Amino acid sequence: MKLERLARIDRRIVYLLIGIGTVLPILFPIGFPVSTTPPVERLFEKIESLGPDDVVLVSFDYGPTTAPENSPMAEAVLRHCLSRRIKVIAIALFPIGGVTMAGEVMSAVTAEYPELRDGEDYVLLGYKDGAQAAMKQIGIDIASVFPTSMDGRTAGEIPLMRSVRNYDDIALVCSFATNIIGEWWANLINAQFGTPIAVGTTAVSAPKYYAFLDSGQMLGLLGGLKGASEYEQLLLDAYPDLRARYARTGVYTAMKGMDAQTVDHAIIMLFILIGNGIHFLTRRQRQSEESG
Amino acid sequence: MFWKLRLPLIITFFVGIVPIVSFFLTERVPGVSFARDTVERYMIIIAGFALLLGVVNVIQGNVRKIERRAPGWPFAISLLAGLIIMGSFGLLSAFRVGPFQGILTAPDGGDTPFFWMTRNLFNPLQAAMFSLLAFYIASAAFRAFRVRNLEATILLLAAFLVMLGRTPLGEYVFSWLPGGERWLPAATDWIMAVPNAAAQRGIIIGAALGAASLSLRVILGIERSYLGMREK
Repeated sequence: MKLERLARIDRRIVYLLIGIGTVLPILFPIGFPVSTTPPVERLFEKIESLGPDDVVLVSFDYGPTTAPENSPMAEAVLRHCLSRRIKVIAIALFPIGGVTMAGEVMSAVTAEYPELRDGEDYVLLGYKDGAQAAMKQIGIDIASVFPTSMDGRTAGEIPLMRSVRNYDDIALVCSFATNIIGEWWANLINAQFGTPIAVGTTAVSAPKYYAFLDSGQMLGLLGGLKGASEYEQLLLDAYPDLRARYARTGVYTAMKGMDAQTVDHAIIMLFILIGNGIHFLTRRQRQSEESG
Repeated sequence: MFWKLRLPLIITFFVGIVPIVSFFLTERVPGVSFARDTVERYMIIIAGFALLLGVVNVIQGNVRKIERRAPGWPFAISLLAGLIIMGSFGLLSAFRVGPFQGILTAPDGGDTPFFWMTRNLFNPLQAAMFSLLAFYIASAAFRAFRVRNLEATILLLAAFLVMLGRTPLGEYVFSWLPGGERWLPAATDWIMAVPNAAAQRGIIIGAALGAASLSLRVILGIERSYLGMREK
């Protein structure tokens, strides 16, 4: 009887525990250590191999729903590129808030590099509808897809854009994606233009990207908050001067978010164990009652 | 007959065949790259119109709901209000009318009205909706994730290993074993890179073959349901 009551536990108690498991580690960070995995290391090494003459296209293919997972990875990759003086062209292909995510992340990260100039070292070109068509058209002429930057400057007025015509001039595409757009970069753009592609995606979407990683259509993958925290760890190990930026209070980072995710995973696993324990015990109880 | 059937079939055949032909013959056949570029430019424009079609559809559906006082009609009012307010802010910002100077940053460096609304209304609402998933997943896992048969047991074991391996917790659990802190992340990576990738590849190839066959049926005019007709 007690077991049955436990099996019918009020779901609000479950919600409360998850709420506590999320809020407390954010308020009082635990600082779990982060180990890195090959899909993340490969992207890091690729960016390490690039220099000030190279251009990275960063595509913001996510909205506010998955920002806690996608934004830290986008910020880390942008910091890495800008720290190495790699030129960055940012675009947005996700219709529901993609361009505002791009604006938030770009303005936050570029503000940390006052020595770099908008239009010369980085530029935000804005949003374009019809992701697949836009991606393919960039392969012919990026200025025809994005004739002006987000703030209204024409391609001819932006020094960075004068040296970039199509994917031939782009060393790497990094897509931070919440849905199928990340897949299109791999199966459409890498397949047709041979451009190296890396995708940072949510944990729930990450499993399907392993097929593209294995086939060589993607060179790197950041899967969820774990992937983002791994990238942050690699970045901080290689660029210790960035530690102060990541340690600031009030700044959300993937490593801080991992504390909450770890505690929540533990709570969910505990619930699964308890649920199965109750299932086994009640089943055995029923069997003994039937045989008795 | 020509306007309603033959012309749409000709247009469909043309826009469907151009990207395929251009993929193989771009450099060899004159005019192919021009046709491809034109079709791809039109795709971007048509995608913009599809967005407009979606907005019209949402307005029509919700206005009807309010008129009929269908269940949940007050929510339709809030949806339309949100659409009109954010939509008009976006349009005014895009055309830089009055105080609406741009989408993101105003000339004085501050947030534009559209960006302010996005930061303070749209983003928190969207994030709140998505974050509810964590609570539902925890409750559903407790109630439904049971070891009932062999398949469920394999699924549960894989899920447990991946959940542990995707957090630093897994490294602690096995850290008492020699090299144990590396064992679980490696096992998780193997599950994702081998059995998971194999299954995903099968799904992706199956879906791609299905999409290719359906595309061919549409291009060749066999599948005509998009014209409101039965297939030939």
